[in-house]
Amino acid sequence: MMQSSSARNAILLAIGIAVLIALPMVVKSSFAIDIFIRILLFSFIGTAWNLMGGYAKQLSLGHAAYFGLGAYTSTILQIDFNISPWIGMVAGGVVAMLASLPIGWLCFRLRGPYFTIATIATAQALMLIFLKFRDFAWGAEGTTIPNLGTAPLMMQFESKASYYYVVLGLLLLGLLITWLIERSWIGYYLVAIGEDEDAAEAIGVNAPKMKRDIYMISAFLTALAGTFYTQYIYFIDPATAFSFSISIEAALVSIVGGIGTLWGPVIGTVLLETTSTLLQSWLGSSIGGVQLTVYSLILMAVILWRPTGLMGMIIEARQRFASRKPARA
Amino acid sequence: MWETVAQAVINGLLIGGIYALVSIGVTLIFGVVKIVNFAQGEFVMIGMYISFFLANQFGIDPLVSLLVSMPVLFLAGVLIQHFLIRRVLGPNDMPQIFLTFALSLLLLNLALMLFTANYRTVHTSYSDEALHIGGLYIPVAKLIAFVVAMALSGLLWLFLHTTDLGKAMRAAAQNRDVAMLMGINPNRVFCVALGIALALAGAAGSLLMPFYSAYPFVGQVFVLMAFVAVVLGTLGNVIGALIASLMMGVAESLGIQYVGADSGLIVVFAMLLLTLAFKPTGLGGGRAR
Amino acid sequence: MKKARKDSAEKPANQVSLRRQSRREFMIKTALAAGAFGAVPLRGWAADPINIGALYPTTGSMAQIGVGCVAAAKLAVDMVNEAGGIKSLGGAKLNLIISDVQSDTTVTRTETDRLITGNKLSAIHGCYASALTLIASEVAERAKVPLITGSSSDQLNKGRTYTFTPFARASQFARAQLQMSKLVSDTPKVAVIFENTAFGTSTSNGLKELAPGEGVEIVMFEPYSAGFTDASPLINKVKSSGANALFSVSYLNDLILIVRTVKQFGLNVSINGGSGGFVIPDFYKNVGKLAEGLQGVAHWNHDVSEDAQKVNAEFKKRTGDFAFEYAGGLIAQTFMLVDALERAGSADPQKVREALSTLDVSSGYAAMAPGGKVKFGPDGKNIYGHPVGVQWQNGDLASVFPKEDARAALLKI
Repeated sequence: MMQSSSARNAILLAIGIAVLIALPMVVKSSFAIDIFIRILLFSFIGTAWNLMGGYAKQLSLGHAAYFGLGAYTSTILQIDFNISPWIGMVAGGVVAMLASLPIGWLCFRLRGPYFTIATIATAQALMLIFLKFRDFAWGAEGTTIPNLGTAPLMMQFESKASYYYVVLGLLLLGLLITWLIERSWIGYYLVAIGEDEDAAEAIGVNAPKMKRDIYMISAFLTALAGTFYTQYIYFIDPATAFSFSISIEAALVSIVGGIGTLWGPVIGTVLLETTSTLLQSWLGSSIGGVQLTVYSLILMAVILWRPTGLMGMIIEARQRFASRKPARA
Repeated sequence: MWETVAQAVINGLLIGGIYALVSIGVTLIFGVVKIVNFAQGEFVMIGMYISFFLANQFGIDPLVSLLVSMPVLFLAGVLIQHFLIRRVLGPNDMPQIFLTFALSLLLLNLALMLFTANYRTVHTSYSDEALHIGGLYIPVAKLIAFVVAMALSGLLWLFLHTTDLGKAMRAAAQNRDVAMLMGINPNRVFCVALGIALALAGAAGSLLMPFYSAYPFVGQVFVLMAFVAVVLGTLGNVIGALIASLMMGVAESLGIQYVGADSGLIVVFAMLLLTLAFKPTGLGGGRAR
Repeated sequence: MKKARKDSAEKPANQVSLRRQSRREFMIKTALAAGAFGAVPLRGWAADPINIGALYPTTGSMAQIGVGCVAAAKLAVDMVNEAGGIKSLGGAKLNLIISDVQSDTTVTRTETDRLITGNKLSAIHGCYASALTLIASEVAERAKVPLITGSSSDQLNKGRTYTFTPFARASQFARAQLQMSKLVSDTPKVAVIFENTAFGTSTSNGLKELAPGEGVEIVMFEPYSAGFTDASPLINKVKSSGANALFSVSYLNDLILIVRTVKQFGLNVSINGGSGGFVIPDFYKNVGKLAEGLQGVAHWNHDVSEDAQKVNAEFKKRTGDFAFEYAGGLIAQTFMLVDALERAGSADPQKVREALSTLDVSSGYAAMAPGGKVKFGPDGKNIYGHPVGVQWQNGDLASVFPKEDARAALLKI
């Protein structure tokens, strides 16, 4: 049974990827592609968050710190030194990784909700720093990305579809890393830490080191998203780059979709973004606050009644379905 | 020169009193119920809007409206504990964190939907008046707010230390299981804790109205300071939160005066990060009371 | 698809010939809807409504102003359409397509993009806040659609050919503020505080550079992060600087606190608030009498000309408040677009851009600017553009500076 189901899964995956690749060739609407890009991007950010928040249950609400660091690193390298954002993206990831060390050291001293608060504070602190120091990073005004027309080597494209493929690649990378971690000993240890850190340590898991390592990976990936986003919207400023709402959305899509699962963030993003788009078209945006009100109600519903998220519901449904079938050999 | 410093300190103390009201609520909830109420700021906002509407529709002074905002929010606290928070109490952190977080998001955006982002201001006879004492200016409205805030804090301390219910709360904070064995009903204690904490938040809101404008996002500014104060003053320590709040108010004020007008928050964060680095349990020392 | 339909439903309320319009509406909606999903290529229809995009923050922190801007935009389009539309295009009416940028930079980026790609636009105007307009102009520049705006950041005139700014620039505001301070005091000592985003920074930089030349001493120069809990520390600092004048470049929320705190401290400074939150009716509503005598600078005021007063009366009828700076300015901008469309004889954005670059008006609603003349230089700036100094007098905003534009005397308070 194991073999045929994993073969089936592989085929489904291949079909899914093929569909995703073909999508921009079939759908021409710029508006639709923009939505797809948003979905892919936030799935990716959620996936990065999920590594730390989902598996190891280190609930950070300050991932915007790395998003912003990635964004600023690549932008500074591009504008001041003419270095391609492709390289800048990786450099940003490295900067984020390095930053996660002192930040982690500070924040991991606290447990539970106070860890969360500390992460919020660090993201805010970074925003304040970038707001204040105008000399190396344009301060509060931010800057626009110089208009280079079509310049694939500098991560600028005329057609939206190209951006779509870049972020699709990022998402697949994030999912691959998650999948590899999930099924390796790293994954098991992370889950153990998430369930009960003291117990895990008691059986020999080096919790501090593992938390540090997964934080670095999570930070690295989040920073990649920051670079992509800046290239896509042609603009960066501290309020956007270190925006609390990015931190929220990363956690939100993972929780709603299924915290600690591979596909959770993806499904969560699809649900939330679709809801958001539908809301916008029904109500227009004439009434502020509607979208987030609905998001928060969904989140509360999930927490109160289905903490395992959508993936949890799907897995339960599958199990119930499987148990109804006659037992196989 | 001294005048400037003294004025800066006074400014800091006065606003610190408001921070204290908000942070005491947060630390009380954490000490007793062991959860962090991310929505505390939004209850301040609700208190402000209650006072605004009472002032606008009926001409009731915000200070008088304390008599309305506090009970209303107390009741809200009881209901929220009983129907929402009780369901997520357990060993797992995630639901607790994100429930109050979702609540915060919900309340803020409901306010946005219902009241729009417009600023609502109340003018009282003393709104813009100040006492002049030897070259120093003490705005009347802020002074009243400070005095009431300290009075409420004092009342809370008395409650926790002299009444049976208060002692039961402290017992439950120290050791929930033993408290239960002694016959203390945890849910009832939690309801009271939440009620008190939210009532304090509502009081902060009403006290703010004479000199501050109400708008949906107002809670966010105060809650950040509150959280920092709670960590600084040690989680669960009411006096610690009070003192830390006052310290932070002064630090922010001095920071603006001597470091830079946009550096108030940075100074506060520096305080937080230093504390986290060297004394993560906070300056209050030891465990929660 | 639904969103495009909703946008085209945002039309001016009074239609002359309803039935013809609604059938046309239906056909346009269908075509736009189909076009939005690329199933049917959009064909340009010659005598049909000309689409003008409008991007304003009707929700979020700048919602109060954004809503007023949208009201002004609709008023302007109504005025144009009632007068017969664009005559050189067979009386084609203007069709306003509004989009909310939610006071957010990211949303501005996606909405500008969506507006441009989902509709056949001839031009856009927006977004009130300089930070937002900068982004919209980037998108418009790449999409080759002309953008006309009243936002003051000098950055909007750098390296762009599709952005047009008919009104005063931030650096000009600065000079005006400095000159006004000399009218109130012989030895002005100015404390400058400003919010630290594009708006505050541009204006304040201008102040710093020009002050020595104007003979004004700046004794304090501090950026602050908007949205503080308490203005006391800031005002305390102002007090200790020994200033007798305060320039505050701020949005509304902080201004309210600053003005009230100055009163609490009994600080005797004359306040000149730049533009931003100072020159809107909500300011007076929130601080009341404290606003009396406070000065500001604006790129438009409702008493600059008779046309402006007519517009003001109409705006007041619709919204209940006087026409504030940005609102009046954008009505003038709509008429500038009309002038360009008339001369271009086409709805094609490139041709509109060409026509805008050769704009030269000195009468009519299109010239409703301080000085009464509009002509664009190669960088998109109006070569006659200059700001007007205003003062709150009896609950209304009166123009008091410079002499040519003054409609009331400057009260020294």
